[in-house]
Amino acid sequence: MGYRGGMPDFAERFLHIDMDAFFVEVERQKDPGLVGLPVVVGGLGRRGVVASASYEARAAGVHSAMPIGEARRLCPHARFVPPDLTSYSEVSHQVFDVFRGFTPLVEGLSVDEAFMDISGLRLHHSSPAAAGEELRLRVRQEVGLPASVGISAIKFISKLASDAAKPDGLLVVDAGKELEFLHPMPVRRLWGVGEATRASLEALAVVTIGDLATVPERVLVSRLGPSLAHHLSQLANGIDKREIEPGGGAKSISVEETYSEDLRSGEAIERALLRLCDRLSSRMRRSGYAGHTVNLKVRFGDFETQSRALTLGEPAETTPALWEAAQVLLSRIDRSNRGVRLLGIGASGLAAADQPRQLSLEKQPRHVAADVVEDVRERFGDAAVFPASLMRQEAKERRDE
Amino acid sequence: MRIRAERDDLADVLTRAGRAVGTRSALPILQGLLCDVSGGTLRVTGTDTEITIETALDVEVLEEGRTVVPAKLVAEAVRKLPAGAVSFSTSDGEVEITGNGPRFNLREFDANDFPDVGGDSDAGSGVEMDGEALIAALNQVGIAASNDDGRPTLTGVLFETESDHLRLVATDSYRLAVRDVPGVAGVDTTLIPYRALKEIGRTIGADKVSMAIAERKGSFVSDRGRMTARVIESSFPNYRQLLPDEYPSRLTINRDALLEAVGRASLVAEDHIPVRLSLGSGGVELSVSRQDVGGETEYIEAVYEGEDMVIAFNTRYLTDGVASMKTENLLLETINPLKPGLLTAADDPSFRYLLMPVRL
Repeated sequence: MGYRGGMPDFAERFLHIDMDAFFVEVERQKDPGLVGLPVVVGGLGRRGVVASASYEARAAGVHSAMPIGEARRLCPHARFVPPDLTSYSEVSHQVFDVFRGFTPLVEGLSVDEAFMDISGLRLHHSSPAAAGEELRLRVRQEVGLPASVGISAIKFISKLASDAAKPDGLLVVDAGKELEFLHPMPVRRLWGVGEATRASLEALAVVTIGDLATVPERVLVSRLGPSLAHHLSQLANGIDKREIEPGGGAKSISVEETYSEDLRSGEAIERALLRLCDRLSSRMRRSGYAGHTVNLKVRFGDFETQSRALTLGEPAETTPALWEAAQVLLSRIDRSNRGVRLLGIGASGLAAADQPRQLSLEKQPRHVAADVVEDVRERFGDAAVFPASLMRQEAKERRDE
Repeated sequence: MRIRAERDDLADVLTRAGRAVGTRSALPILQGLLCDVSGGTLRVTGTDTEITIETALDVEVLEEGRTVVPAKLVAEAVRKLPAGAVSFSTSDGEVEITGNGPRFNLREFDANDFPDVGGDSDAGSGVEMDGEALIAALNQVGIAASNDDGRPTLTGVLFETESDHLRLVATDSYRLAVRDVPGVAGVDTTLIPYRALKEIGRTIGADKVSMAIAERKGSFVSDRGRMTARVIESSFPNYRQLLPDEYPSRLTINRDALLEAVGRASLVAEDHIPVRLSLGSGGVELSVSRQDVGGETEYIEAVYEGEDMVIAFNTRYLTDGVASMKTENLLLETINPLKPGLLTAADDPSFRYLLMPVRL
């Protein structure tokens, strides 16, 4: 980095942009009648959770990942809308097109947020704040949605800044003033601090990030283990050496389901997992990816979550290949007779499915079959074709509807 | 226990038995070698419970007995002593190893903890075969065996009797190697991990090796010792149905020229980049290209009968097959770019290497 055209780069070169209440705003675009009302997007079943809440609903205490029943209790007059992932994915692509048109150094974090390195934009914008405002304006003009932007010389602080700027705002944390901004915040705002870590830290009388910065790393090691201790100690002191890793957005593809009643029988679990594999396969084939690694997530009724991963000899994206891996992974889960509340299956180590591929001697008419399935689904919808072993259940569900 | 032996002889029996000792064993005792002295002979046993290797040496016995010593350390200690006679004795939980000055005192393990790997139970009369031929055949088929412990069946080599002779088969599902061994008959069908078989040549290889199967173990015995391996109990894929009946196209090509050309292509290719073979009447063009690196192309004159075709293979799989055939000319027979190709030596049909292509 350094100098371009004799002018120094921006010191505050990390920009984090996060769409405001993304799913809700997409819904409002589809149905302007929702503008100004409290809106909650989420699964509407008994065990659904809040995926996104408008600021009006947040004012009533609703937040994402909250059980939908609790959201209804807190904000009974909100409009509850089921998620429409296809639309969100479409709009997400438009949003990322804007990001990448602004600078190629974009690191996607999820469907609606990204980091960027804006140091090279010195010639186009008078200040980091001007660059940030320009980006917000472009997203507003080209996609019609609000976004908040945080800017800092330190990567993770830019993310905290965008959060502080919400909704529809911009915050630049000036170089040299990062600790002033950071230290009053509660420790749980740091990446890597979950509920368990927060409790361990509280035992050390650590409540704010500033408190954490005063605790020697060796004291943290005994409570948190060496790697987390080092990580948090660095962050608390405003040290973050990570750069922008362009790409991202799609480092993995996954699907998961929370069940309205815990799945108890092995058969029910397998059936649900097969259905997830089928959904995952469909998403992967539509996006043109195959994955080298398959990941399984299982959450039990007691909320314990286990994850297992399997790396495959050749990348998989068809239902039979994913299902084969999923069965191996499922056999490695220690269920101890507990009911299953949530299942998730994902693929990572993604490679374009049309790359040269080593064929196998084992007979696999899978690809041909999967192509046909995709074709049928394109035309007639997902329910048109599904694995035969799901037949009984699909038929039952249709009767129930 | 108290013995004397020549340094080189002792180091040899310890090192060979030590090859069965795993480096990451859960049980400390399995890091050890059982040394059993009786009737003028030292018998050394190493095992990881899957593979057991036993070696023996006639020694000067001053006192009979048994001990278990740390495998790697003791073999290395003996090897590093000055040349000449070595004395090896136990007392008070230690093994003392001395020779021409230096003296090692090493903790011994309790010999009673050593697993019963059934070394003494003779597996009955085995099938005797030419040791060198067996090892060469195993090395040939072994290239197609898988290393993936997730699919144990594919890590094995299938032994079976095909009409009047022994046949060895291995596949990792991308390639299949079939080797007929004439003059050996009467071997029962069994599947043995290649990881174990590959130790035969390094540990007990000799002019004559006999093979026996009993109690879910396959054992190979020579005058240099015994290698016993647990057999894989799952059933091997029906490989016969993987072998196509006929191939409409056939390339006859100089083996060394092809091996060198694939070697050059491999410089550019990484594992996932295939080498393309454009087959035509005058010969074959090999080419490899990578967006980020560049490429390599060359033409080898050869005899080709069949329709023009472009077929691609993983460079490592192709190299393995070509290198395994020590012959002047090879045949590469093909059907189409999505069906397996068959490599054989032009003058020797006893080894077949079937290889799936890479779809471009």
